Amino acid sequence: MAYLVALVIAIGFGLPIAVISAAMAQARTASTALEGMARQPEAAGRIQTAMIIALALIESLVIYALLIALVLLFIGIPSSRTLIQKVVK
Amino acid sequence: MHEQGTWLHFLYAYHILPEWLPEAVPVTWLVIIVLSAVAILSTRRLERHPRGLQNVAEMSVSALDSLVRLIFDSPLGSKFTPLIGSFFIFILAMNLFGLIPGFMSPTANINTTVALAITAFVMVQYYAVKEIGVRRYLRHFAGEPLWLAPLMVPIHLIGELARPISLSVRLFGNIFGEDMVIAILMIIVTMTMANVLVPVQFPMMLFAIFTSFIQAMVFSILVSVYIAVAVTEEHAEGHGGHGD
Repeated sequence: MAYLVALVIAIGFGLPIAVISAAMAQARTASTALEGMARQPEAAGRIQTAMIIALALIESLVIYALLIALVLLFIGIPSSRTLIQKVVK
Repeated sequence: MHEQGTWLHFLYAYHILPEWLPEAVPVTWLVIIVLSAVAILSTRRLERHPRGLQNVAEMSVSALDSLVRLIFDSPLGSKFTPLIGSFFIFILAMNLFGLIPGFMSPTANINTTVALAITAFVMVQYYAVKEIGVRRYLRHFAGEPLWLAPLMVPIHLIGELARPISLSVRLFGNIFGEDMVIAILMIIVTMTMANVLVPVQFPMMLFAIFTSFIQAMVFSILVSVYIAVAVTEEHAEGHGGHGD
């Protein structure tokens, strides 16, 4: 029971922290990209391509956090005793 | 999270395929057959002024070619267009297949994306060795001041190995995540409003079309950036330019 409570608290606080930091970083990326596009409209295509790459790279960090959360929820971590027993066998 | 069935589940029911084969594999074969059929149909009886399917094919090929040349900053990038374009079209087709009712995205299985990432990794090393030679390829791991080599070589190796890992996990996480959101929306509707089945997952499926495009484009652009960085090692640029 305590394991489930700890799991919910960990995922419930850990994943939103990842999302908040990624959102702030992506907001800064998009705003500077738009400023650059407004200053030089002829470079808009290249800036847009670079912006999409940067957004996807930042988003992938959130996806890593989501992956760990899913692994914890559905595959779970064994206790260290069972892990050692499995390794020793 | 057990396996869900698709239209191809009969291959398992009639024991044509063994049980341990993930359902993503025959769906990938189906994607390959569909893409090959479109390719063959659009290149039969080539005409000087393209119409119809050949026109669509030519527009996509020239769009992919201009994208690759934009990354490489030179017309020499066109020799990598077949690889990058194939990655893009294949990954896009696999991502979109999951939105067809009754099928799954093969990229929602980690094995598919790891296979794609390993292929990309091997091709990057192959093109690096082919274009700049084995000696300069090994030399670039040592970094700029040569006496810093014992520090730079492990850092470069780990950075190089982190690229296929991040490519595969990014693609898998995005596609699996959006599939899971669609499934959970359907489950919520059936569990709470079982009399009035409103398809609330439909806007999410439209968004999933968009992210399928974006993820295929990001994979292809990143692979082309890795090849561009590995191939143009002549001018002594530092390794702070392109991130992994």
